[in-house]
Amino acid sequence: MTKRKGLTLTDVLITVVIALVFAVIYSLWDGIYTILQPFGLHLNELVYGMWFIAAIVAYLIIRKPGVALIAEFAAASGETIVLLQFDISLIMYGLLQGLVCELIFLIFKYKSTHLMVVVMAGIAAALITLPLDWYYGYLGHLESWNLILMFSLRILSGAVVAGWLGHVLYRAVKETGVLKFIGSSSSDSTEGL
Amino acid sequence: MFEAVKKYSTFTDQTNPLTKIMLAVILFVTVIFIHNPNTLFYLMIFMLFLLIVLSGIQYKYLIILLLFIFISGLISSMYMIFYGEGTTLLFEFGIINITEESLIRGIHVAMRGVILSLFGALLIFTVKITDVFYSLMIQLKVKAKYAYSFMAAIRMVPLIISEYMQLRQAKKVRKALIYKKHISGFKGIKTTIVTLISQSIRRAYRLGIAMESKGFSDNKRTYYYKTSFSKYDLYFILLVLASIWIAILLGSSIPVINITDAR
Repeated sequence: MTKRKGLTLTDVLITVVIALVFAVIYSLWDGIYTILQPFGLHLNELVYGMWFIAAIVAYLIIRKPGVALIAEFAAASGETIVLLQFDISLIMYGLLQGLVCELIFLIFKYKSTHLMVVVMAGIAAALITLPLDWYYGYLGHLESWNLILMFSLRILSGAVVAGWLGHVLYRAVKETGVLKFIGSSSSDSTEGL
Repeated sequence: MFEAVKKYSTFTDQTNPLTKIMLAVILFVTVIFIHNPNTLFYLMIFMLFLLIVLSGIQYKYLIILLLFIFISGLISSMYMIFYGEGTTLLFEFGIINITEESLIRGIHVAMRGVILSLFGALLIFTVKITDVFYSLMIQLKVKAKYAYSFMAAIRMVPLIISEYMQLRQAKKVRKALIYKKHISGFKGIKTTIVTLISQSIRRAYRLGIAMESKGFSDNKRTYYYKTSFSKYDLYFILLVLASIWIAILLGSSIPVINITDAR
């Protein structure tokens, strides 16, 4: 197959499917998120990174512009598709997180698969929605220790769950050999073998 | 999808999905800018009313859903109720201190979530998910390759779920033979995700090639299902905007509680 620039239908389909796999897993584990929520200690923020891990894994696998955004949109609408719940704020958050991931990947010209790049993208995605949360949840009126706890748990989760875990999963998927024909690495026969 | 639990259908079913999504965005922006808990309370009542009347879902299912929406709304705002700033102390226990201000603010945040969930539930009950992608293609001219890959991927979700279940059973059967770390714990989670992803990529790749060769990425096409805008869209828009407007009026003229600013 000749190498084509831009996203092909196959690229988009693979991206969406990766996002939906995470949506399914996330939905099956939805209980965890709910169990962690009470008492308001923000323990649920620890798994916050799971929301945008799809964008990171999809980017690492396909490495083309637009992939992170599509993956994020698919992951956000995944809740609607799998659990039949529609939450508009989720979709808007997802699009914002996807856009900021795109921005980070653009800086590295969609080439780098380095761990630091995806950790940066994870942190950026964790940070981007904080202003929205600030207005939506009146975070300015929270006791400061609770606020700092929430911020640090979320950034930690963006770096570790989305960035590091995303990278670990990418390397493991690469070892299985399914990435041979996929994405911008397809012309390079040694890549992904 | 909900035909079995639907008692009747209303004009909302004929409303274009894009209209509904756009209204949901407007509603989201609106609730962020409303700081009067009274207004939010009235808006919540209106949205509850719209859901009950327009969805046409049997009441026993609606009640279960409503319980779920209200409880999860309250749980998600607990952080504010427990740890919000305030001066009039109501309850103190260890690090938890509930003040009047934080309680009102917490309920305010919970109501925001509940309003969006109620409207979201109305959407789920009245929109067919494929129609969303058809109207994205027909009305918004989104390229067919995006819409069709989404629709194809959605069809794969049951496969992914059954594969996950199969994997879990396979691990259960072999539990005695393999090292415990590979079943539970981080390694167990990792192998599960990697298996699911690699299988799905393989399947998506095959399907993608097949769809491309059948011309699904070609942009000039006709559609079997047609979506359009109609007078029903106008009715629905007017209904939702009127609810917001009346809620704002009622919130300032007939307040339920004395506090008019949750901040």
